[in-house]
Amino acid sequence: MGKRILWVLVLLLSLTLVTGVQAADKVYVNGIDANFPPFAYVDKNGNPDGFDVKALDWIANEMGFKVTHKPMDWDGIIPSLMAKKIDIIASGMSITEKRAEQVNFSIPYWKIAQVLVAKKDCGLTVDQILAKGNKIGVQRGTSEAKWMKDNLISKGKDFSLVEYDSAPLSVEDVVNGRIAAAAMDDAPAKDAARKKPVKIVGGFGMASEDFGYAIRKEDTELLSTIDEGLKRLMASPYWEELIKKYEP
Amino acid sequence: MIESLTVLYGALPYLLRGTLVTIVLVAGAMCLGLVVGINLAVGQVYGKRWLRNLIGIYIWFFRGVPLLVLLFLFYFGLFSLLGINLSAFTVAIIVLGLITAAYQSQIFRGAILSLPEGQLKAARALGMSDRKAIVLIILPQALRLSIPGWSNEYSIVLKDSAVAYALGVTEMMARAHFVASRTYEHLPLYFSAGLIFLILTYLGTKGLRVLEEKLRIPGYSR
Repeated sequence: MGKRILWVLVLLLSLTLVTGVQAADKVYVNGIDANFPPFAYVDKNGNPDGFDVKALDWIANEMGFKVTHKPMDWDGIIPSLMAKKIDIIASGMSITEKRAEQVNFSIPYWKIAQVLVAKKDCGLTVDQILAKGNKIGVQRGTSEAKWMKDNLISKGKDFSLVEYDSAPLSVEDVVNGRIAAAAMDDAPAKDAARKKPVKIVGGFGMASEDFGYAIRKEDTELLSTIDEGLKRLMASPYWEELIKKYEP
Repeated sequence: MIESLTVLYGALPYLLRGTLVTIVLVAGAMCLGLVVGINLAVGQVYGKRWLRNLIGIYIWFFRGVPLLVLLFLFYFGLFSLLGINLSAFTVAIIVLGLITAAYQSQIFRGAILSLPEGQLKAARALGMSDRKAIVLIILPQALRLSIPGWSNEYSIVLKDSAVAYALGVTEMMARAHFVASRTYEHLPLYFSAGLIFLILTYLGTKGLRVLEEKLRIPGYSR
């Protein structure tokens, strides 16, 4: 019966936890991978920043809705969208068929090429890097990770893939010499080359991809709002400003 | 070197705010674990057979399933199915709390079992009810004995709390990673994150040590 008192305590505790979540008026939540500069990251003061963050802020302002940006683990970002923990993913996400089965994508707003990043003094060509025995780093759960498995490794290429939590971590291991090169989108690769002794070796045969904003299938209204906003953004002078500022 | 220090200095307020998130997360989980854990332990020692079996299943489940799996199960599965929209932070506290409850219950159970059996009988002989005897005689002693084991559990939960980022809880470790991604100063940032964990472990275990001394029953053999 002392137990009963304690159980009441547990119940009270859980109730306060439940009621701690308020149902505020609708603010769309944008899930970002904050380890993906220059498209999404956190600035010096800890605020979300980046090309996609500022682009969506502009769209929200233009189209008259509110948006907040929430850093999420990339691995769980689509499940979070499906479970309504977030409403939109504007964070350098490539439009792929597989993803489009689960979510709707906005109109494409950026073309991205996939490249290999190696040490600055590396004299190898792309083919020499993707040779037997070499290790190639890639961010887990990305389209380039999937493409390399499906189109190179399963077709007899003999390098091995090392998967990382984020693209910057794979660059770190390139510098450490643990992997021969890292495969990633060209924009973060350029960002890495500005900050680390690495260079872009070149593309590895994967077709360029389009970035789009992901939205739940049922949120068709939000989708058309975002599409319209993107069109207006790309027609405005702010678009060039964004590109100049973030150099994707 | 200078550059790394500038980055670290600039990132410190952001990391410290993350440290606060970590502290609240761990404190919440440890409190929930304490309340649930004591109940589990008492139930397992003094409960009826069906209750003991039920508690056995609980402990088996929460000790057996990895933290990350439980976080996903609860966040995307259970609470979503129940239609309860809990924040990632709340779910992380609940899951960490329920897991540590399973471990803590065994610390408390061990402490309860280490007490001489005669105490409960003596309490009964004095006319105390079972409940009164457990709350007033057994638990005050058992909980004192549990503090060293409990401080172990604290340091484990502290480090486990970093996994909460899988749900998007931006605690200290996740923040260190964000700053590293922006600045490419991975090593200094992970070093600082490790240092903050070390300080938190020191403060926590030291505090519990002091508590242990304060609560020690004078003349009671150690």
